[in-house]
Amino acid sequence: MATSLSFSPSLSLNTLFFAKTFPLSRSSFLPFPLPLSKSLLSLSTRRRTFAVRAASQNGADSTPAHYDFDLFTIGAGSGGVRASRFAANNGASVAICELPFSTISSETTGGVGGTCVIRGCVPKKLLVYASKFSHEFEESNGFGWRYDSEPKHDWSSLIANKNAELQRLTGIYKNVLNNAGVKLIEGHGRIIDPHTVDVNGKHYSAKHILVAVGGRPFIPDIPGKEYAIDSDAALDLPSKPEKIAIVGGGYIALEFAGIFNGLKSEVHVFIRQKKVLRGFDEEIRDFVAEQMSLRGIEFHPEESPQAITKSADGSFSLKTNKGTVDGFSHIMFATGRKPNTQNLGLESVGVKTDEDGTIEVDEYSQTSVPSIWAVGDVTNRVNLTPVALMEGGALVKTLFQDNPTKPDYRAVPSAVFSQPPIGQVGLTEEQAVQQYGDIDIFTANFRPLKATLSGLPDRVFMKLVVCAKTNEVLGLHVCGEDAPEIVQGFAVAIKARLTKEDFDATVGIHPSAAEEFVTMRTPTRKIRKTQSSEGQSGSEVKTAAGV
Amino acid sequence: MQTQNAVIPVTRLRFSSNCSIAMARKMLIDGEDGLVQGGGEEAANFDFDLFIIGAGSGGVRGARFSSNYGAKVGICELPFHPVSSETIGGVGGTCVIRGCVPKKILVYGASFGGDLEDARNYGWELNEKVDFNWKKLLQKKTDEINRLNGIYKRLLSNAGVKLFEGEGKIVGPNEVEVTQLDGTKLSYSAKHILIATGSRAQRPNIPGQELGITSDEALSLEELPKRAVILGGGYIAVEFASIWRGMGSTVDLVFRKELPLRGFDDEMRAVVARNLEGRGINLHPRTNLTQLIKTEDGIKVITDHGEELIADVVLFATGRAPNSKRLNLEAVGVELDNTGAIKVDEYSRTRIPSIWAVGDVTNRMNLTPVALLEASCFAKTVFGGQTIKPDYSNIACAVFSIPPLSVVGLSEEQAIEQTNGDLLVFTSTFNPMKNTISGRQEKTVMKIVVDAQTDKVLGASMCGPDAPEIIQGIAIALKCGATKAQFDSTVGIHPSAAEEFVTMRTVTRRVTGTAKPKTNL
Repeated sequence: MATSLSFSPSLSLNTLFFAKTFPLSRSSFLPFPLPLSKSLLSLSTRRRTFAVRAASQNGADSTPAHYDFDLFTIGAGSGGVRASRFAANNGASVAICELPFSTISSETTGGVGGTCVIRGCVPKKLLVYASKFSHEFEESNGFGWRYDSEPKHDWSSLIANKNAELQRLTGIYKNVLNNAGVKLIEGHGRIIDPHTVDVNGKHYSAKHILVAVGGRPFIPDIPGKEYAIDSDAALDLPSKPEKIAIVGGGYIALEFAGIFNGLKSEVHVFIRQKKVLRGFDEEIRDFVAEQMSLRGIEFHPEESPQAITKSADGSFSLKTNKGTVDGFSHIMFATGRKPNTQNLGLESVGVKTDEDGTIEVDEYSQTSVPSIWAVGDVTNRVNLTPVALMEGGALVKTLFQDNPTKPDYRAVPSAVFSQPPIGQVGLTEEQAVQQYGDIDIFTANFRPLKATLSGLPDRVFMKLVVCAKTNEVLGLHVCGEDAPEIVQGFAVAIKARLTKEDFDATVGIHPSAAEEFVTMRTPTRKIRKTQSSEGQSGSEVKTAAGV
Repeated sequence: MQTQNAVIPVTRLRFSSNCSIAMARKMLIDGEDGLVQGGGEEAANFDFDLFIIGAGSGGVRGARFSSNYGAKVGICELPFHPVSSETIGGVGGTCVIRGCVPKKILVYGASFGGDLEDARNYGWELNEKVDFNWKKLLQKKTDEINRLNGIYKRLLSNAGVKLFEGEGKIVGPNEVEVTQLDGTKLSYSAKHILIATGSRAQRPNIPGQELGITSDEALSLEELPKRAVILGGGYIAVEFASIWRGMGSTVDLVFRKELPLRGFDDEMRAVVARNLEGRGINLHPRTNLTQLIKTEDGIKVITDHGEELIADVVLFATGRAPNSKRLNLEAVGVELDNTGAIKVDEYSRTRIPSIWAVGDVTNRMNLTPVALLEASCFAKTVFGGQTIKPDYSNIACAVFSIPPLSVVGLSEEQAIEQTNGDLLVFTSTFNPMKNTISGRQEKTVMKIVVDAQTDKVLGASMCGPDAPEIIQGIAIALKCGATKAQFDSTVGIHPSAAEEFVTMRTVTRRVTGTAKPKTNL
């Protein structure tokens, strides 16, 4: 998941591209109703320029355009299916192309449903469910349950059941498209001009082209990289790893560490930095690593991989800047993902991409070629399924509902399905201090009722980040059981810009973990930019809180 | 202590619920003066500024907060024991000793029963029958409750509150008497008295009722019942049904109405009923018990349909009554309603201005967090210089059945009754992702009721795993009058169950203002 928001292309570039490359004679692509001059008033500067030109050109040429489709979508993942379906519901004629189904993605394989359904959110969460049981068995001992023999896990039956579920879901997605009247074409889509897509040698013309091809795991170029697996493969291994090295400190690395640890593999996580989950709240980063260590995962901070070697016994060794760890049955890289923009014909039609292949789009998801749009991971904005859905939904409003809509990226909640999981929405403490200066921090770090009985060292950490001046709750973070479920409702409150008083006025649900968020009376620390220009140190901060 | 002296100041300061804020403020200032100066010309010398009878959720909160505001506080509580009576209680009260906490511990314990079933299709190989040791769980539960009881005592002593063990009784508007364990009586004067004695489970008056138990005993049984019959359709009945069933008992749930959980949204009641049945609980709607008979095989239970059941344990979950009988309330003029609940105004003040009451004994909304709220408002009003009444709108609550139900705001039926215009009802019924592999046939149901005119979300409910944790955040939104549009503008957390609440795009039905469906559920 990328947390950086990059709204890319500059004004001049876009206008330029528009003027140069857009085949105006065929233009009726503008989603806005005529008279244009009127509807444009509400639009941004950039749009105005570009639309006014269109209007004048339109006036000069009255030939109506004819395309095979109003919208042709390349890629039937979360963003592509959402946009296609909604567009069709709005009366547009829509086609979508997608690569053949496979659990492992490549230049030639994909599948309807995309990353989320086939090799992301869904299979990942199913494996999280499966792996969590071992923790539940341990907990249940404390509640009087007893097993004659240690529960054993059968990897192959899990993977078979998981794959059956994925087949069912990809079928559902196909039905969804079919029922919406979207034409599904299997094959590799390639853009050959601003209004034409080639799929397996057949050409389809469209008023708008949407690129929603997503991203794929990326393994850095080190000696022995051919021995490494990525998350696609890790979700569909033929057998359970006995001892696995996971390289990376992001959410994918942590989720798989939890999965394999829960299924009783020996797990080592190698992270380049001191801490896991760069970009998350610092306290959450510390807390989750500590809790995961207590469950048996071994972290190797500041250890970068340099080479993988295969031993005579078939096991792998991972050489790092600090030494070599031997005896791995598997080495997994969770070192980032890259947009699937190769062989799409983007360069030839003039769609701008940045150096790692990300398609540059404006706030309306429009690329540098006005008839070509892009949503989801291929634009590397916020790489989450619900964000791709939001971008796809907003695009349909812009193109087919005369209602230019920008996705709103403020207070997008997200979760990490590590064990324990994390849920968060809004700003981290560090971001809030930077943006607002004076911040009140409320935290709770407690042993949940379940843990007092189970005797396990499980804890829950919760945090509210509050603007001292306005009392608005800017951020909310939890690490502990049920964190993702807990955060969703609070995300509504934070999106609505509610204040700490609003939280306090809400009565708790007892006994729950979530009630802690409405019963935090005393700030843990108050951070004041005005008092000292430097960030305050822990002890000073604590004194301020007591008052 | 001369009663006369004591009465004068409080009478002077008495205010009714519609009294102006200025007057109320004045009272508070006077009160504080009294504290600081140890009495003005009219102010009496009291042993305590506040004496509290009952150290449960409301009492302990009231004591601590008042003490933090500078008041000198005494509190009395009956001796500790898991099963309550006129002479047995314990610091921590119902919630800690025989309510929320032990109940939730048993719910956790019972939930593993279902988890073990779910684990198999996820590839876990378990014995056909996994052994469950009730005695071990009970011991650990008791240990935990003892620990919490100690924590509560420490909370009080850290706050500087003086704790007395014994039975409290009101002697006059400013005087309490505590009968200690050895029979000796202590007498104290107090400027304010707070009654927070809570409530106790009741038994129905049927032949053989002595063979049955209440929730107090149910939380402390020596043995796990193999066959349990539960009478009642409220949340306590439903929770114990889930607990015992989860541990493998045969459970028959007998209730008078068509559906359990009267007062909750009818649609959600039906969902709960379906889920209870799905988990193997035998439901007996529209049924009452007429008699219990002791037999060699167990307790023979006879219903008003002439049906006979055999049980090891019969649980009466037929309601609770306020603990107000032995407080001498009538004698001092504190009014009770016909159920024995103490009548109070919006500030929790009884008819006697120096006597206040919070929590279950007032039978307003019998929930721990509400008792806390009432006690906090009391402390602020009387000692904190801030007149404030509890706000009962949009208080979320949960039923810890398996799976649980949690709701906030209005049910569809309440919304129909309380609004004039049209309502939009959004529902989502889905198979939770975990069930796709476990094979469990149990749907999660979510529901939002929206005022069509204002777009305000009036009520939200959910029945399914994690419902109470999910509803808490939603409760803030409702408390602040959030609109459906604000729900829709929130991005989901994927994959979660909770994301359904922000992705309900299509209205399930529109209920017009005039069409008010009648139900006899």
